[in-house]
Amino acid sequence: MKTNVIRYGMAATTGLLCLAQAQAARAEVSDADFNALKELVGQLSQEVHDLQTTNQVQNQKHQLDVQQIQDLQTKLAQTQQTATEAKQKSDEVAEVQSQPPPRVPIDEATVNHNFQMLGDAEFQYDKTSGQNGGFLLADFAPIFLYRGGDNILFEAGFDTILQNGSNPNSVPPGHDMGYGTTFNLSFAQLDYVMNDYMTLCAGELLLPLGTYTERGAGWLNLIPDNPLAVDSLIPATGVGAELRGSVPFGESGQYLEYAVYGVNGPSSNDGTGSPTSLDLGGNVGLRNNNAVASLNGNPSGGGRLGYFMPFYKPHYDVELGVSGMAGQWDNTINSHMWAGGVLDAALDLGINFKFTGEYIMTQYGSDAGEVTQQGWFAQASYRLAGLNLELPGINNVQLVGRYDSVHDGINPRVERYTAGFVYYISNTFLVEGDYEFLHSPDPTQVDDFLLQLSYGF
Amino acid sequence: MTMKQKKNRNLRTCATLVALAAVAWFGSVAANPLLADPSTNAPAVSEGAIQAPTPPPAQIVHKLTGAELYSIHCNRCHPERYPTERTAATWKTIMLHMQVRAQIPVAQSRLILKYLQDNSGR
Repeated sequence: MKTNVIRYGMAATTGLLCLAQAQAARAEVSDADFNALKELVGQLSQEVHDLQTTNQVQNQKHQLDVQQIQDLQTKLAQTQQTATEAKQKSDEVAEVQSQPPPRVPIDEATVNHNFQMLGDAEFQYDKTSGQNGGFLLADFAPIFLYRGGDNILFEAGFDTILQNGSNPNSVPPGHDMGYGTTFNLSFAQLDYVMNDYMTLCAGELLLPLGTYTERGAGWLNLIPDNPLAVDSLIPATGVGAELRGSVPFGESGQYLEYAVYGVNGPSSNDGTGSPTSLDLGGNVGLRNNNAVASLNGNPSGGGRLGYFMPFYKPHYDVELGVSGMAGQWDNTINSHMWAGGVLDAALDLGINFKFTGEYIMTQYGSDAGEVTQQGWFAQASYRLAGLNLELPGINNVQLVGRYDSVHDGINPRVERYTAGFVYYISNTFLVEGDYEFLHSPDPTQVDDFLLQLSYGF
Repeated sequence: MTMKQKKNRNLRTCATLVALAAVAWFGSVAANPLLADPSTNAPAVSEGAIQAPTPPPAQIVHKLTGAELYSIHCNRCHPERYPTERTAATWKTIMLHMQVRAQIPVAQSRLILKYLQDNSGR
């Protein structure tokens, strides 16, 4: 705009000069007119000069504006770059926050998280033939574990059982006043993993005579009752020390397992060598008169050798084992020996079929001569989920059957056929039920119906 | 029951158990693909074809993972417990207990523990 004004000014001045020249050519110009014209030209020149000055100032301002705009554009670009980087960082942070936090190695030295309680609880309804059916709180059996570092574990299991007042001389029987609670130590042992192949255990040990005692008791078994032979022919625990471990073969999961131990062993419940006085579990090292001593002169020793082999695919495996134990059981002049042996087998054919069995044979000397005992059980179970039936609840049902027999060498043989079921409310909450057909010459041993609610924790 | 009858009964019982164990043993060995011999699965070669020298047959042994060992061992005694049921720290204590009780080889126990901790409930 300013440039145009100047141009128009200059054009007007030039025009006036030409007009004046033309006037002069045509007529004489007076001094006054000339001076007026001169003054006018001077004014116009001054205006032109002012306009040029103004134009220069405006140009300078324009240059400053352009510079300022460039600066602002540069700053805008920088701001946009900063915003982009901030967004990227924000996205990265959000991505990291959306991922699970990294696992931090456990600080064994400063954190006490090694205490753990496992176990099971069972509530039973029992109806024996010829008796009134009754509810009973059968068992609360916690196992306490304390791990000291990577290689040391202390474990102890307890059984808490509620029962009526237990005066054996009450008349009529079973009507004693009130009730009582028994609280028994099932086992308590310290385990030290010496290396990959050997663990030292000491304390009240679950004895590896077969595998049922160690791995099948409580809610682990599918039938509420233990096999007759396991309950009556072999000791479940012993106070002593044990070395155990396993040696794997190759990478296919096979391994050989072993255990050797020395324990106080069985004893005589009345100090005699009578054949009926054998006491399998009553020799714990502390007598009832507070004397610290074994009830007989020589401890017992034993061991187990087993072989485990998976095949085909997971859940297909077989385990075979042989175990035995022997030692003095009484402290009479003609001290007698007790010896027992167990063959055990377990077979898994898929997740649905399972078989276990044990054959037990024991022999002990007594004042009345040798007593030979034997018994066995075979148990099979099948989950109906394997049938792929689309019926409500049926996939949670497992059927189980067992045959067991025992001959204690003194009384006639007892046989039992058991048919039962397990209903899985969850993987740890079970309803178990079974009917036991008992064949015994003892009239007090009769058929039994059991219903049990089990929870493993 | 006479002594002879008792002896016969004992013998029958022993024979039954031994036979059952033998069947399970040989059946499992025969059907074990975990110890597959690749030579039995090799493609047939036509007669007269030039055969490259074949290397001696080697056993292909599938190395079991922690998850597979978990499936193998845990279900033998009780229904499987979900890894999320426990924290990584408590699994360590429980696995030491199971390792001793069920005589699981230490190397396998380590793999199972890693599987349980990796999938634990923190």
